[in-house]
Amino acid sequence: MPHSDALRAFVSATLYSATPLALAALGGVLSERAGVVNIALEGLILTGAFVGVWAGAASPIFGLVAALVAGALLGLLHAFLTQRTRMDHVISGLGINLLAAGATRFLYLRLYPTGVQITGLPPQLFLILALILPFVVWLLLMRTRFGLRLRAVGENPESARMAGIAPGPLRYAAVTLSGVLGALAGAYLSMAEAHNFSSNMSAGKGYIALAAVIFGKWNPLGAAGGALFFGFFYALQTQLQMSDIHFNALGIDWTSPFLLDTLPYMMTLAALLTVIGRAAPPAALGKEENDR
Amino acid sequence: MTSSFASRMERFRSLLSVPIGLALAALLMAAAGYNIGEAFGPLWTGATGLEGGPAQAANQVGFGTLPFHLNLFLCSQALAKTTPLLFTGLAIALALRAGLFNIGAQGQMTVGALAAGVAGTWGQIGAISPVLHLMLVSLAGLAAGALWGALPGLLKASRGVHEVISTIMLNYIAVDVATYLVTHGLKDSHDQSPQTASITHSAELTPWVMGSNLTSGLLLALLATAVITLLIRRTSLGFQIRAVGLGAEAARANGIPVERTLVLTLALSGALAGFAGAVEVMGVQHRYMQGAAANYGFDGIAVALLGGLNGPGVALAAFFFGALASGATYMQTQSNVPAAVTVVVQAVIILLVGVRTLFRAGVSSLPAGALTDENDPSTPTVERPNPKHAPF
Repeated sequence: MPHSDALRAFVSATLYSATPLALAALGGVLSERAGVVNIALEGLILTGAFVGVWAGAASPIFGLVAALVAGALLGLLHAFLTQRTRMDHVISGLGINLLAAGATRFLYLRLYPTGVQITGLPPQLFLILALILPFVVWLLLMRTRFGLRLRAVGENPESARMAGIAPGPLRYAAVTLSGVLGALAGAYLSMAEAHNFSSNMSAGKGYIALAAVIFGKWNPLGAAGGALFFGFFYALQTQLQMSDIHFNALGIDWTSPFLLDTLPYMMTLAALLTVIGRAAPPAALGKEENDR
Repeated sequence: MTSSFASRMERFRSLLSVPIGLALAALLMAAAGYNIGEAFGPLWTGATGLEGGPAQAANQVGFGTLPFHLNLFLCSQALAKTTPLLFTGLAIALALRAGLFNIGAQGQMTVGALAAGVAGTWGQIGAISPVLHLMLVSLAGLAAGALWGALPGLLKASRGVHEVISTIMLNYIAVDVATYLVTHGLKDSHDQSPQTASITHSAELTPWVMGSNLTSGLLLALLATAVITLLIRRTSLGFQIRAVGLGAEAARANGIPVERTLVLTLALSGALAGFAGAVEVMGVQHRYMQGAAANYGFDGIAVALLGGLNGPGVALAAFFFGALASGATYMQTQSNVPAAVTVVVQAVIILLVGVRTLFRAGVSSLPAGALTDENDPSTPTVERPNPKHAPF
């Protein structure tokens, strides 16, 4: 049955394309529900991708752990900069993204002038995590004391403090966890999908994950749904590129790889256009205590 | 604490971020096993054009008995790198004055370069008047960049789409679509590479030093700096931009058309980036090539922030980063150290400049000082603005 085979391939491509987006988006949800804008996801993905390859040459499991630790440290840096030094969240995120882009590119060229190939990890491992973690994060946010406090801090840090909840530690915890999840997404890209690293291999996935967070209205399950939505278009793009389907109209070759490449980016814009106005971000997102 | 003291503190910290950034980059290079001495020599030479030894060639200028000379070629290459950085730095600074993060200078510069590359091939116009042709090519770049910049402005003003995500998406789309066009309809028929045909001589800016990329494009960038500085300080649009940057709600309450200002600011910002693309096409590449915008759109973020978002500061920062970029390229050819290390310097500088306060008690921040100009009586002295973070 070639039809069902093609369908199965397409569903599988969608799920695997959605995997890194969902993992990073969950990080985005945690950070943003605590009130910290996390543009840094892009850099966290790149860092996880690079460290996974670098430390994972000998032992993939060690590589994965090292990637997650690196993500946690970078997340901690974002938390420190935004909380302790009260840096604008977007500036901190952009700085971290540039730091990750520059450092990983520099080290990659230094360490692997002729490229690198690693055994890596089975993609199924990450897929399973991407299927389970949305529920775990949902339970964490919605059904635990920690989650309740986290959300309180994201909505109104002053009131949270008056209720005896210190916003600082919660935000540090949320953003650090966000770093771990971002790095996990990156580790998937390099260790399970590509089995190597390339400069800027995140290719905007951190920002698309953020769009999935907005699309999913800052809810972990919604964000995973958003990731699935964008994953569908990534899959459509790659499947069309591999197929021999060609579509020319109005003098434009719509199935050109360059135009197909824009599909996820176009859909991100389209999704944001339709969702915004219907979704309210956490009230204190991007703001510090006594900032208003 | 007086505001001028705080402002001086910020300027000091901005300046301090430069040596710290360089030191951390040196540390990274050392950790990666490079010889710092061997790397920093070419970095310095490439950045300044100053070389050891007496002048020997025609493009080397000696200084009497001093044991070094100025290599005019290297020096002008560094100044040539300044040109696009000044444009994109200005573009990003202008948008940030309105509280907008234009991360899309990359895409705006790409469409500007492509439009300029196409207009540059219209030799018939060059035959009438080269000046007219140069103006037309510039206009093509400006207009294309302005349109690509206005788009995220419209998305934000009408639907509240945050400009960081939309501009990033538009970067990828611009690069992909441009690549599609130069592999299809706009492709140079004489060459396999994905690029447009060569522009005609009438659309080229002549290099000042033989073989270098330094052209009057640098003067255009400095002119743009003056224009934007005056626009921000002296015009009603500039006032509106600053007011929106200090707080959109307050601006709206005072009758400032916030949405219109957002769109106009991003269009202007995009026009500057698009012009950067046109100047690169006219002065350096002489056609649209894939990757025309290099990394200038992102480099501009560091330029804008180090420059404190004001014209003269941005110009100084552009000279610094231009020298650094040129030095890094030279370092890569001479001692094999990847030039990507300069991105780390940029990142560290952004992070250090962006720090609002290292102490909870709070010296005020750079963004606040940058957005309120102490020499400018018309600047309202208000608390630090909250750039609209709305729907993240």
